[in-house]
Amino acid sequence: MTKDIREDIAWAQINQDVLKSLENPRKLYWVILFGALLVFSVGIGCEIYQYINGMGVSNKNNSHVWGLYIATFIFWIGMSHSGTLLSAILHLMHADWRKPIYRFAEAMTTFSLMTAGLFVAVHLGRVWQIYYALPYPSERWVWPNFQSPLLWDAMAIFTYLSSSVIFLYIGSIPDFAIARDNIHPGWRKKLYSILALGWEGTDRQWRNFRITYMTVACFLIPLAVSVHSIVASDFAMSQQPGWHVTSFPPYFVAGALYSGCAAIITLFIILRYVFKFEEYMTLPILKKTVRLTFAIAMVWTYLNCIEFASVWYSHDQVAKDVLIQKATGPYAPFWWAMIFCGSVVPFVMMFKRFQTNIPVMFAVSLLLNLGMWLERWMIVAPTFSHGYYPWTWDHDQWPSLIQWGIVFGSFGWFTLLFMVFCKIVPSVSMYEVKEMVYHRSQATKKKQLGIEGAH
Amino acid sequence: MSKRYLLALYNNFDEAEKVVSELRNADIKGFNADEDLTVKSPIEHPEVEEFLGDKPVKIQWFTLVGAVMGGLLAFFLISGSQAGFYSQLKGGKPIVPIPPNMVLTYEMFILGGVYITVLGFLICAGLPARRSPLYSAKVSEDQIGILVKADESAAATLKGIFAKHKALEIQEEAGR
Amino acid sequence: MSVSNLLENWSKFRHTHPVDDKGHEDWEAYPSDIKWAMAIDLDACTGCNACSVACYAENNLAVVGKEKYAHGQEMHWMRIERYWGEENGEFHAEQGAQFLPMMCQQCEAAPCETVCPVGATNHTEDGLNSQIYNRCIGSRYCEANCPYKVRYFNWYNYPEQEGAWPSPMEQQLNPDLTVRTKGVMEKCTFCKQRTYVARNNARNEGREVADGEVQTACQQACPTGAISFGNLHDPASKVAKQWAQQGVDINKDKQDKDKEREKIEHQDKEPEKALRGYRILEELRPYPSVMYLERVRDESAV
Repeated sequence: MTKDIREDIAWAQINQDVLKSLENPRKLYWVILFGALLVFSVGIGCEIYQYINGMGVSNKNNSHVWGLYIATFIFWIGMSHSGTLLSAILHLMHADWRKPIYRFAEAMTTFSLMTAGLFVAVHLGRVWQIYYALPYPSERWVWPNFQSPLLWDAMAIFTYLSSSVIFLYIGSIPDFAIARDNIHPGWRKKLYSILALGWEGTDRQWRNFRITYMTVACFLIPLAVSVHSIVASDFAMSQQPGWHVTSFPPYFVAGALYSGCAAIITLFIILRYVFKFEEYMTLPILKKTVRLTFAIAMVWTYLNCIEFASVWYSHDQVAKDVLIQKATGPYAPFWWAMIFCGSVVPFVMMFKRFQTNIPVMFAVSLLLNLGMWLERWMIVAPTFSHGYYPWTWDHDQWPSLIQWGIVFGSFGWFTLLFMVFCKIVPSVSMYEVKEMVYHRSQATKKKQLGIEGAH
Repeated sequence: MSKRYLLALYNNFDEAEKVVSELRNADIKGFNADEDLTVKSPIEHPEVEEFLGDKPVKIQWFTLVGAVMGGLLAFFLISGSQAGFYSQLKGGKPIVPIPPNMVLTYEMFILGGVYITVLGFLICAGLPARRSPLYSAKVSEDQIGILVKADESAAATLKGIFAKHKALEIQEEAGR
Repeated sequence: MSVSNLLENWSKFRHTHPVDDKGHEDWEAYPSDIKWAMAIDLDACTGCNACSVACYAENNLAVVGKEKYAHGQEMHWMRIERYWGEENGEFHAEQGAQFLPMMCQQCEAAPCETVCPVGATNHTEDGLNSQIYNRCIGSRYCEANCPYKVRYFNWYNYPEQEGAWPSPMEQQLNPDLTVRTKGVMEKCTFCKQRTYVARNNARNEGREVADGEVQTACQQACPTGAISFGNLHDPASKVAKQWAQQGVDINKDKQDKDKEREKIEHQDKEPEKALRGYRILEELRPYPSVMYLERVRDESAV
């Protein structure tokens, strides 16, 4: 098997290659940036229209009070989880192949959480009163309702977002110092000087850095699990058929890791091309990521089956009806598409020759994410169309173009943030790639010495 | 007596280790290896800590205090506000329901832990810091720097040790 | 201080309602003297929709128009549901429809209350499920969690919409309550503006609210008197008598008579005479405050 990274790559070369990405990416970068801006402005236009006219323009109604906004909210929250998987869980497990790709995965976490946050606002009927949901002391002694899973959501997302931003920042301080030392004078140099906080790589700084990084990583893991469990609680804590399922939290967490890993593959391929990172985001690393994604895909498939089975063998007729409705009703094409994209397509990842085939993996990762988006929609919508009360069954509701437009626009917003980030912050962690190269070459040297000693 | 700063650059950790151990063992007047010796490296390298000798890290205490305070603050803030002036029955559940409050306590436990840990990091690592008197951009690239602070009288001896181990570069500057 | 308040009144704050109300008489929030409740006789209901119209007039409900109604964005707090007899998957219109007036069931343990992120919906001391329009931010979680789907959202700015109250109907808007703006959830209040007047009058005159003193708009408009409304805590009121007669207890998620009937049915015996009173989706434990009386007419009779 070829190596994850060339071991003889010079450290100065690493600095040079990565810092180049801050200055001159391929033209495609600007195409993507411009495209993202256009897509985002579509979303903005739709939101303005909805803000002025009221939520009714999204074509939701009194049976379908939630729609694509909540589904897409879960989708973005879910996508954020893999950043933590790569940067925190694999960090504690000393899997050093994560090092070249974890920085952008962390950024993905942060920006997908920001995108998810937008949907909270977009979804609200009176977004201008959104501050009512904050626990601020007021002269009227009115507090938000701490019993509501939505408030747990807000708290969890705030904690997760601020912790990931901190984690991302702390992890980049040594790289900011590198950028400060090497970039030509100008506003950027000033920016990096401020961001680097006077980092000089002294033994005292590294010693405290290591402990801090590990501690925050330890906090992030249970936090990430709790965030998506709480999002699952939005549904599992309610009484509605199809939602009131005990296995929802683990199911959601698995789904989150799944869609996040798929998104990492997509972004891996894009960044590798756009910023000419072929030396760092290598095919063996892609292969490892693909295998990890395949494993998570199977966990998700298993939990999906568990959910169906537990509904099917329960005596809860109403929940059973919802399940039958999903498989045979008006949502059937989407439901089966979700099964296909989520559980069948990943089998492509089993074949060795596809694992490093970039076009195939790009297509597969997009399909997986489509499947995961459909999954969230299939959790939200069918329950509303076929709930407890037969009189309110509504099988004809269809989201309006405004709703689709805002969902579409959110992808522009995410891409925009992500691409701007990659141009400003080194999207490959330079110092950690150096560590990886160093440790690997040391290990090789030791092995060689061992072999020579045996002779 | 006026102080002098010396920065020597080395190619790899092995060379730096030899220099540091010699500095630590040598008895030089006006130079204290425990306080006046700083190693700068481009990567985090646990062996640096080993050859520099044991230096305690106190961040865990910040973490503990932050997490506990965060959790306590959450529980009492939430329960206190629920039981406040406008206490209202909701859904037949108790006014102060334990399970939801535990969820929020858990989140604040983590929030407090993370925030105070980072605060502790900034304090313990002395960041944001003024740049030290001698710095070479090479340190953020691929070389190991050894920075010493010593009395003027010891400077020559130290320079000798640095040169003996084939330093790539030695910088010198009068201290403040 | 909030901590000492917390510790002193701990048992009060850990009280679940309505299941363990007993032993907490000293608690000012509940129980109060009044618990508004309803009984609706489906045998008497003719499906004439007068209650629904009366509700529109009384509560300033906007007329959303045909198109929005077709989109399911209607505003009727009181709706008449129409069910046809069904046999082997076929509907039998000739048997006549069955009607069910449906509005907010004012649950004692309402699923909508716990989930509101801002606490805009609460249990009031007179046993209602309140909705605070100014506080509502429109997350619509309450409606999502309502098993009856009886909450109505202001999808548009209905009061400013043309034809919401075609002239001269804007002249008859009820000054005792507001109109609601876009983005706010609303629902049946058991005509709160009326019950509060009755309670205030009674307090001013130093007496209890008398049975029949306050009528809801739907009750008032019902030509067959199918709806009765009153104070369930007053054993002399009509509602309390009906509930007691039908063996329906507000604090139970399964009534004794149903347990009894199941036991008899288990032994393959015909129950002698079934009481008609039931509450909708009682098994979900929202403890609804509306009792329906089952239709007596045989379904298959032509």
